[in-house]
Amino acid sequence: MTAETGEATATPLTVRLEGFEGPLDLLLHLARTNEIDLAQLPVRQITDRYLAYLESTDFRDLDDAGAFLVMAATLVYLKSKLLLPKPEAEADELDEEGEALRLELLARLRAYARVKEIGEWLRAQEAAWGTRFGRTWSELPMPDYLPIESVSLWDLTEAYRGFLARLGRGEPSRDVEPEPPSLLARMAEILGVLDHSWYVMFSALLGATPPRPEVVVTLLAVLELVRLQRARAQQRELFADIVIERALGRQPAEVTAPVEEDEGGPTREP
Amino acid sequence: MNPEILAALEALLFASDAPLELGRIVEILDLPVEDARAAIDALRAACEAAGRGLAVVEVAGGVRLVTRPELAPVLLQLQRLRLKSRLSRAAVETLAIIAYRQPISRPEIEQLRGVSADAVVTSLLERRLIRVVGRKAGPGRPILYGTTREFLEHFGLRDLGDLPPFEIPVQPAEAEPAAVEAVEGPSASRS
Repeated sequence: MTAETGEATATPLTVRLEGFEGPLDLLLHLARTNEIDLAQLPVRQITDRYLAYLESTDFRDLDDAGAFLVMAATLVYLKSKLLLPKPEAEADELDEEGEALRLELLARLRAYARVKEIGEWLRAQEAAWGTRFGRTWSELPMPDYLPIESVSLWDLTEAYRGFLARLGRGEPSRDVEPEPPSLLARMAEILGVLDHSWYVMFSALLGATPPRPEVVVTLLAVLELVRLQRARAQQRELFADIVIERALGRQPAEVTAPVEEDEGGPTREP
Repeated sequence: MNPEILAALEALLFASDAPLELGRIVEILDLPVEDARAAIDALRAACEAAGRGLAVVEVAGGVRLVTRPELAPVLLQLQRLRLKSRLSRAAVETLAIIAYRQPISRPEIEQLRGVSADAVVTSLLERRLIRVVGRKAGPGRPILYGTTREFLEHFGLRDLGDLPPFEIPVQPAEAEPAAVEAVEGPSASRS
């Protein structure tokens, strides 16, 4: 690699190293370009190459650098074991611990090689499928029933974050806020709405500029209902409104107690 | 095959914004499963025979009406579209690991890739190609990830079985040797 031009070495090498997805990737590349037999994994040879490569690089990302350096440490450790004088003749043999480490490294390299192949396969698949287009948004009116595949906690928290961001852009927060509704009351309200409708939008559960505690309680109520399988929630895209819908198989027993208790509405305390 | 059923199926597929599952077709058209399947095959054959611009394909556990691949250049001229964005190498490698080893935690992904997977996992979550499927029992209870239907849709796969076989060696530290010993004592007895 040093055979390339003198002046221009620093930058191109940086670019090249950044092209590697990590120390395993670099090791694989070194093994291939130097025609090193992976099964043997000659520790001395590959350690020297690896270190030479690292030396010619300046890292921008500390995390990445860390990963490369951990691998370097492992390799140097292995190599050091080879360099120690041994009582018996075989100079190129590692002791038990070293051999186990070498085998583990080898297994990781093999597994990663396969990961890379599959990654390539996926990219080819992606490219082929990328030439085919289907409808991405239905023109049909909003359905009564939205099939739910996956609303993850992630989706909910992201939606909530988006919601708060939009709130922040609205009017400044008020000083005096009404007491937020209790969690059970909120859950009951949502279930009450779902009794009459298959679904309700998260934003519809709140006023135009709801106080923050109310947003929190409402989100908690939705999460709780989803957890209890009394409702389901879905979101068509990132930051979109959450659609809360009636759970399909309702099991009345478990949660009806708080529902009935709070069904009276806002006048909970005399 | 009853032309009315074919017409209805075609309309369903045309209007759907996601792969339509066989079960839903059965439900909507009120047909036995075999007939629904036959209708799908018939519609696919009809599209091919007529040299239509659309084709019936199976993807992500459902049936979908998509354009024929050779028409991509024509479509790209429409509004001068660019090709759909492609995932980075880091992203596809991480997806490959998750697809085969799901449910899998981030440390396990990082172990296989040899680098931090934090940013990649976050962006895959954002693109909904993976999702949180639970937490692992054990220290730290790390979050477990799995692939989504969007993952299958993105790569045009029918299901995970469409992926090529993948033999990742079992992690050496895991139960294997202990299990063997429990069954028939030290393995030395074999030699």
